[in-house]
Amino acid sequence: MTALAEPAQHFAGSPDWTWYILFYFFCAGLSGGSYVIASLMRLRGDPADEPAARIGYHVSFLALLPCPVLLILDLGSPLRFWHMMWNTTPGDGGLNFFYWSPMSVGVWALLVFGVFATASFVHALVLDGRIRFPLVGLLDGGFGTVFAAVGALLGLFVAGYTGVLLAVSNQPVWSDTWALGGLFLVSGLSGSAALLLYLLRYRADAAASAGPLTVSERLYAVLELLLIVIFAITLMPAGTFGQAFGMPWALLWLVALAGLVPGIGGLLGSGLAVTPEGVTVPVQSVSAARSAAAAGLVLVGVLALRAAVIFSAQYP
Amino acid sequence: MTNHWRDIRHADLILINGANPAEAHPVGFRWMMRAKLERGAKMIHTDPRFTRTSAVSDHHVRIRTGTDVAFFGGLINYVLQNELYHKEYVDWATNAGHVVSADYAFTDGLFNGFNAQTSAYNTAAWAYETDGGFAKVDPANPRSVLNLMREHYKRYTPEMVERITGIPREQFLEVAKLVGETGRPDKVMTIVYAVGLTHHTTGVQLIRSAALLQLLLGNMGRPGGGMNAERGHANIQGNTDHAISWEILPGYLRIPAPGQKNLADYLAASATRKLRPNSVNFFGENYRKFMVSLLKAWYGDAATPANEFAFDYLPKPAANSSWISIFDQALRGKMEGLILSGMTATSIGPDSNQVLQALSNLKWLCVMDPFNTTSSEFWKAPGIDAASVQTEVFMLPATHWIEKDGSFTNSGRWVQWKEQVLPPEGEARHDHWLLAELFDRVKQLYAQQGGKFPDALKALTMPYRDARRPELDEIAQEINGKSLTTGKRLDTFAALLDDGTTTAGDWIYTGHYPETGNLAKRRAGIADPAKNDPTGMGFYPNWAWSWPLNRRVMYNRASADTQGRPWDPKRVGIAWDAAANKWVGDVPDYPATAAPGPTAPLPFIMTAEGTGRLFSNGVADGPFPEHYEPVESPVDNPLHPNVSTTPAAFRYDEKAGRGNRFGTAREFPYVATSYRLTEHEHYVTQNVEHLVQLQPEAFVEVPAELAREKGIVNGDHVRVSSKRGKLEVRAVVTSRLGALMIDGKKVYQIGIPIHWGFVGINTGQHWLANALTPFVGDASSRTPEFKSFLVNLEKI
Amino acid sequence: MAEITPGRAYGFFTDTSVCIGCKACEVACKQWNQLPGNEPVFGDGYDNTGTLDAQNWRHVAFIDNVPDQTAGPGAGKAWLMMSDVCKHCQQASCLEVCPTGAIIRTEFDSVYIQPDVCNGCRDCIAACPYDVIEMDKAKGVAQKCTLCYDRLQGNLEPACAKACPTDSIQFGPVDELRAAAQQRVSDLHDQGVTQARLYGQDDSVYGGLNAFFLLMDEPQAYRLPDADNAVLPSRNNAGGYLGMAGAAVLGVLASLFALRRRREPAVEPGAGDER
Ligand SMILES: Nc1nc2c(c(=O)[nH]1)N[C@H]1C(S)=C(S)[C@@H](COP(=O)(O)OP(=O)(O)OC[C@H]3O[C@@H](n4cnc5c(=O)[nH]c(N)nc54)[C@H](O)[C@@H]3O)O[C@H]1N2
Ligand SMILES: Nc1nc2c(c(=O)[nH]1)N[C@H]1C(S)=C(S)[C@@H](COP(=O)(O)OP(=O)(O)OC[C@H]3O[C@@H](n4cnc5c(=O)[nH]c(N)nc54)[C@H](O)[C@@H]3O)O[C@H]1N2
Ligand code: SF4
Ligand code: SF4
Ligand code: SF4
Ligand code: SF4
Ligand code: SF4
Ligand SMILES: [Mo]
Repeated sequence: MTALAEPAQHFAGSPDWTWYILFYFFCAGLSGGSYVIASLMRLRGDPADEPAARIGYHVSFLALLPCPVLLILDLGSPLRFWHMMWNTTPGDGGLNFFYWSPMSVGVWALLVFGVFATASFVHALVLDGRIRFPLVGLLDGGFGTVFAAVGALLGLFVAGYTGVLLAVSNQPVWSDTWALGGLFLVSGLSGSAALLLYLLRYRADAAASAGPLTVSERLYAVLELLLIVIFAITLMPAGTFGQAFGMPWALLWLVALAGLVPGIGGLLGSGLAVTPEGVTVPVQSVSAARSAAAAGLVLVGVLALRAAVIFSAQYP
Repeated sequence: MTNHWRDIRHADLILINGANPAEAHPVGFRWMMRAKLERGAKMIHTDPRFTRTSAVSDHHVRIRTGTDVAFFGGLINYVLQNELYHKEYVDWATNAGHVVSADYAFTDGLFNGFNAQTSAYNTAAWAYETDGGFAKVDPANPRSVLNLMREHYKRYTPEMVERITGIPREQFLEVAKLVGETGRPDKVMTIVYAVGLTHHTTGVQLIRSAALLQLLLGNMGRPGGGMNAERGHANIQGNTDHAISWEILPGYLRIPAPGQKNLADYLAASATRKLRPNSVNFFGENYRKFMVSLLKAWYGDAATPANEFAFDYLPKPAANSSWISIFDQALRGKMEGLILSGMTATSIGPDSNQVLQALSNLKWLCVMDPFNTTSSEFWKAPGIDAASVQTEVFMLPATHWIEKDGSFTNSGRWVQWKEQVLPPEGEARHDHWLLAELFDRVKQLYAQQGGKFPDALKALTMPYRDARRPELDEIAQEINGKSLTTGKRLDTFAALLDDGTTTAGDWIYTGHYPETGNLAKRRAGIADPAKNDPTGMGFYPNWAWSWPLNRRVMYNRASADTQGRPWDPKRVGIAWDAAANKWVGDVPDYPATAAPGPTAPLPFIMTAEGTGRLFSNGVADGPFPEHYEPVESPVDNPLHPNVSTTPAAFRYDEKAGRGNRFGTAREFPYVATSYRLTEHEHYVTQNVEHLVQLQPEAFVEVPAELAREKGIVNGDHVRVSSKRGKLEVRAVVTSRLGALMIDGKKVYQIGIPIHWGFVGINTGQHWLANALTPFVGDASSRTPEFKSFLVNLEKI
Repeated sequence: MAEITPGRAYGFFTDTSVCIGCKACEVACKQWNQLPGNEPVFGDGYDNTGTLDAQNWRHVAFIDNVPDQTAGPGAGKAWLMMSDVCKHCQQASCLEVCPTGAIIRTEFDSVYIQPDVCNGCRDCIAACPYDVIEMDKAKGVAQKCTLCYDRLQGNLEPACAKACPTDSIQFGPVDELRAAAQQRVSDLHDQGVTQARLYGQDDSVYGGLNAFFLLMDEPQAYRLPDADNAVLPSRNNAGGYLGMAGAAVLGVLASLFALRRRREPAVEPGAGDER
C-alpha cells in the first residue's frame, strides 16, 4: 500500500472537452440555479417574490436552450446524439440508462428538467397574461407546488452533476476530488442569484425581492468559497494541487474569486439584519451600470471557475 | 553463412560482431532469441553503438569502428595463451601443423612480399615448405602455422586490445572467458557478422580474424557454430552465387585474366592443386568440369573441344572493375555510358559528390528501376547546376521483385522460389525481358552491320521459348544444367564432365531443378516436424533447396571427430554409421561412404590442404589478419605507427592524380560510422508512407557527453562534415554512443543512418549520408570503407 | 494455433524483455486495419509515433537508460522497448463510462468499440487510465485496438502478434498465456534478471488485463499505473454525488433562510427613478 503522501499516478489522455463543454456547464448551472431559486421563492417566499420567481423561470428556460445545442455540437458525430438515449447495438438495442455513468444519467436529467423548465416558463407567461395556454392551469395550486419542488430538485442536479461527470474519470485533478459537483452547484446558484438580482430592475413589481436575493447571493458566495477551499484541499494528497492552481490557471482562479467579491464583500461591508420580521439588508439603490457590473463580475467568475477546472486538468 | 538461420538456435554463445540483426535482420533474429529463450544461450554484441540488438544482448561491447582485428586478435591470443583451443580439432582439421616457408616475415607492420611501387603484396610469397609437392606437416617446427600464429598474436594483449579498441580490459577478459569456454567439444559459439565487418579497408581480414578464432575453438562445421554472414537484400546471396561481383563467374569460378590463352592457362592460374596426399581438393580437381559445363551452357554448339569450348569468347578484364573502379573510370572520363539496374549509385556512394561528378561525365545513363531514384534524377541533387549536366538519362521502368516470380537465395544458402505477389504496373517490364530484348537488338545490329568481334555475341545461346521474353523458370533450368547426351537435367554437380557433354549455368546450383521438378518450391516445413525434420536438428531437407547439394551446414565433416563421432552427441551434424557404412544426418560435406581412419580423406574437402586455413595466401593483404587503422583514423596504429593503415588498399584519387580526399583528426576530430535503421530499407522505402511515418527525417546520433560540450539537445539541427561533404540534419542525443579512451586519447563516435535522399515522400530530407564517406575500399574486395571515417560536428 | 473459439478469453502476453523495437506490430496493425497513419513528424529519433491514438493502435515505446560509460550488459535493462496496446481490462474504465453502450465485451472477452454506435462523446478517453483511445476526427468516433475482432472471427491471430518476429507479442487464450508468462518470468529470475516482473496477469490491476505484460522496470516507467493507482472512474460516483447533495442542502437552507416571509417594503423611496 503506497503511503498517502505518494502522488496519484495519472497517465490518462485528455478528452479534449473545450469550449462547447465549458459553455454547456455554464448554461446548465444558470438554468438549474435559476429554476431552484425561482421555485424556492414561490414555495417559501413572500407573495411579493412571485414576479421575481417568474423572472427566474424565464432565465432558467432561456439558459437551457443552448444546452442541447452545445452538447450536440461537441460530439464527434452530432447526428448520433440520440445514441445517448437509445442503444443501437445490433441485437442488443434498447433504452440507455447507466446509473453509474454520470453522462448517461445527466442526459436524462437534462431531458426531464427540460420539460419542467419549459412548462414553468410557459406557466409564467400565462400568469403574466402574455399568452393563453389552458393546460398549464394544472400548475396552479397543489400540483403546481409539487411540480415546482421536483423541478427544483432536478435543477439542483443539472447545475451540479457536470462536476460529478468530470470526477468520474481517470483525469488528474477531476478524479482526485469529490468536491466538484458541489462546487459547480453552488457557483451555479450564486451566478443565478446575481443575474436575477440584476434583472429585477427590468420588472417594476419585482423590486421587492431585491433584499432576499441579495442575501441569497451573499450566502451562496460564502458557500462557494468554502467549496473552492475544500476542492483545493482534496487535491493535495493526490499531488495535483499545483496542476489545478499553477500558472496560467491561477489567473482564472483570480477571476473566479473576484466573482465572489460582490457577495462576500457586501456581507462583510453591511452585513444583514435579522429581525423578527425577517432578514433584511439595506439595499441602496445602485446605478444600472453598477449592478450590471456586479452581476457581470459574478457571472464571469462562474465561467472562469469552470474554465480553470476544465482546462487545467486536460492541458497541464 | 556456413550454417543457416534456424541453426543459430543450437548455439551456446552468440557473438555478434559488425552486425545489428535486431534492426537489419529482425526476422532472422528470432533464431538468436530462440537460442536465448530455449537454451539460455548468452549473446554478446560488439558494436560502436548500443543498438536495438545490444538492448537484448547479455553483453554490449563498445568498440571503436574498424578495430575488430585487434579484438579478435586479442581473443585468439587469449585462447592460445590459455590453451583453450580445441586441440584435437585443430591438429586434425586445420593447417596448424603445416610448416611455412622460411621467407615468411612480418616486420614493423609489413609482411614479406610487399611491392612499394604497386603497393601490393605478391601473395605467392606466403607458402608452405613442401616436399614432393605436398606441404610439410610438423607441429613442433618453430615455423609451423600454429607457432607463427602464437608469435603473431602475442602482441594482442588485453592492454593492447584496450589501447586500440577502447574496450576496457576487464570487460574484454569477461568476454574472452565466455568465448574461451566454447573451445570445449560440448560447447559451441556462432559468430554472426555482416557489413559492420566488410565495410572497411581491412574488411576481409576482419572477417578472417573471426574465422581463425572459430577454427581454433573447433566451432567450424558444427551445428550452432560457424561463420554466419547475414546477407543484404533478400537475394544478395543469389546475386553473389551468380557472379554479381566482377572478379568471378557463376559458382565462384575465377574470371579469366589477360594472357590466358586457353583453359590450361586459366586452370593453372585458378584451380588449386592438392597440398596433402589425402586431401580431396574437390574444387581444384573438378574446376575444369565446372568451367567447361558453364561454357557449354553459354555458347552451346559453338563451344567445342577444338576451340577450347569458346574460352576466347569470355572477357578477360585487364583492370579491376569493382564498384569504386567503375566510377573512377567515369571520373577519368574513360566511360561513355552506364546501366544501373536495381542500384542507386548516387545514394550508395561512397563519396556521393564524386559519384555525382562521375555521372555527369557520362554521355548517357540508363536506370532500370521501379522508382525514380537519386541516380535517375541525379541532376536534381542539391548543389548541382542541372544546366551544366550533359548526360542523357534514360529511365526503363522495371518491375519490382514483388511483381515477379523467381527464386531468392537467403543468407543460409536456401534457394526459395517465390510467386508473383502483384501484377506489374504501367509500362514496367521484367529486368530479364528488358535485358533480353536489349541483347537481341544488339545481336541483330551486329548481324546487319558486323563490327569488332561479333562472334562472342552471336554464339551466346538464348534457349528460351521467346528469346526476348525468357521465363525465370526456363532460366532456372538453364542454371541447373543438363546432360547433352540424355537431354535430361542433372541432379548433382558430381555428374558434370569436362568433355563438353554437360552444361551448368552455375555448378553450385546443379541439382536444384532436376527432372523431378523445381526443388526450390518444396515446402515440407514445421507443419509436421516429426516427418519433415527427421534428425530433429532443424535441417528440414525437403524445405526448398540449399546449395551445395541441399547441404544445410557446410564443412559438416568437422562436426564429428576423426572417428566420425559427433563432438557433441546432442548436436549432431553428421555421424559415421558403421553398420550402414555411410555418413548419416545432414548431407555430408564429404565423400558419402568414406570410412573414418588414418588414411581417410581430410575434412575440408574444398581446400587444397584438406583442412581449414589458419594461414592463407588467398587474401591480398597478409597471410594472418593484422590490425590496421582505417584510412581516416583519429590515432596512429599503436602496433606499428609507421605502417598505420593497410599498405595494400588502392587509393583511387591519388592513383588517378586527382589528389586524395582524406581528412585528418585535426580538422575532423570525430570518428563516424554509417548504418541502417529497422524502419527503412536503404532508399527504396522512402516511397512507403507507413515507413516514412516511422522514420520521417534524416538524423545523426551524437554522444550525450559530446552534445553537452557543444550545447546540442535532442532534435537540434547540426552540421556534420567530412573532407568530402556535409549533412545538415537533426541530432539524436544519446548515451548509447559514448566516448572511448583510445591510446590515452578521448575519442567520440558519431552515428550516421544512411536512408535519406532527394527523392521519395519526404523530399525535404535530401541529405546523402555518403557525401561523407571515403572513396577507398578493401585491399582484396575493394568494398568501400563506409564504416570508419572522420567528421566534424557543429551546432547550427 | 488451435481454433479460436468464442466464449473463451483471448489476449496478449507482451514480453518486453525480447522486444527489439522493430515496429512491425505498428505497421501490421495499420495495414490490416487500413489506418493511413498520421502526418510524418520527427519525435525523438527512435519513437516518432509518440502515443497510442486513433491511427496507432500499437505503439512501441522506447525508454533510454543507457549510461554514458561503456554499457556492458544490455539484457533488456538499459534500453527498454515496449509495444503498448489496449489492455482489454477485465474491469474496463472506458466501458464503464460509455453512455451509448458502444463499448462492449465481445465473445472473445475483448473490449470493443462499435464504430457505428459510438457518437464521439469522448467520455471513454477521459476514463481510460492507459491513454489508449483517441477520437478519429474524420470518422467522428473513438478508436482503439479491436483485438482484431474481425480476424478472430475468421480464426486468425491478430495482425500485430502475427508480425512480431521475436514473439514479444504472444496471442492466445488468457489462461494459457498466464502460465507461459509465469514460466518466462521465473526463467528470467533464474538467469539473474531480477528486475523482470509481470503486470496485469493477476487481478491486482483492473481485475486482470487480458493484454498483460512482462516489464523490466517499475510500471510507472512505462506509464502504467501500479496496483494501488489502478482505479476505476466509478469510484467517484458516491463521493461526487454526496458532495453535491451536501452542497445542495446547504444551498437550499441558505435560500430558505434568505427568503423568509417578511414585512415590506424594504426599498428606500426613489429607487425606481433611475429606470
Ligand atoms: N532494416 C533494414 N534491414 C536491412 C537493410 C536495410 O537497408 N534496412 N539492408 C540490408 C543489406 S543490403 C545489408 S548489407 C544488411 C547489413 O546488415 P548490418 O551489417 O547489420 O547493417 P549495418 O547497420 O550497416 O551495420 C551493422 C552494425 O555495424 C556496426 N559497426 C560499424 N562499424 C563497425 C566496426 O568496425 N565493428 C563492429 N563490430 N561493428 C561496426 C554499426 O554500428 C551497425 O550497428 O542489412 C540488410 N537488412
Ligand atoms: N554509407 C553507407 N553506404 C552504403 C551502405 C552502408 O552501410 N553505409 N551499405 C551498402 C550496401 S551493403 C548496399 S547493399 C547498398 C545498397 O544499395 P542499393 O541496392 O542501391 O539500395 P536500394 O535502395 O536497395 O536500391 C535498390 C533499388 O532497386 C530497385 N528495385 C527493387 N526491386 C527491383 C527489381 O526487381 N528490379 C530492378 N531493376 N530494380 C529493383 C529499388 O527500387 C531500388 O531503387 O548500399 C551500400 N551503401
Ligand atoms: S523485410 Fe524481409 S528481409 Fe527484411 S527482415 Fe523482414 S522478412 Fe527479412
Ligand atoms: S485499456 Fe483503456 S481502452 Fe483498453 S480496455 Fe482498458 S480502459 Fe478500455
Ligand atoms: S466516445 Fe464513443 S465509445 Fe467513447 S464513450 Fe463516447 S460513445 Fe462511448
Ligand atoms: S490486435 Fe489488431 S487491432 Fe489490436 S493492435 Fe494488434 S493488430 Fe492492431
Ligand atoms: S513487432 Fe514485436 S519485436 Fe517488433 S516492436 Fe513490435 S513487439 Fe517489439
Ligand atoms: Mo548490402
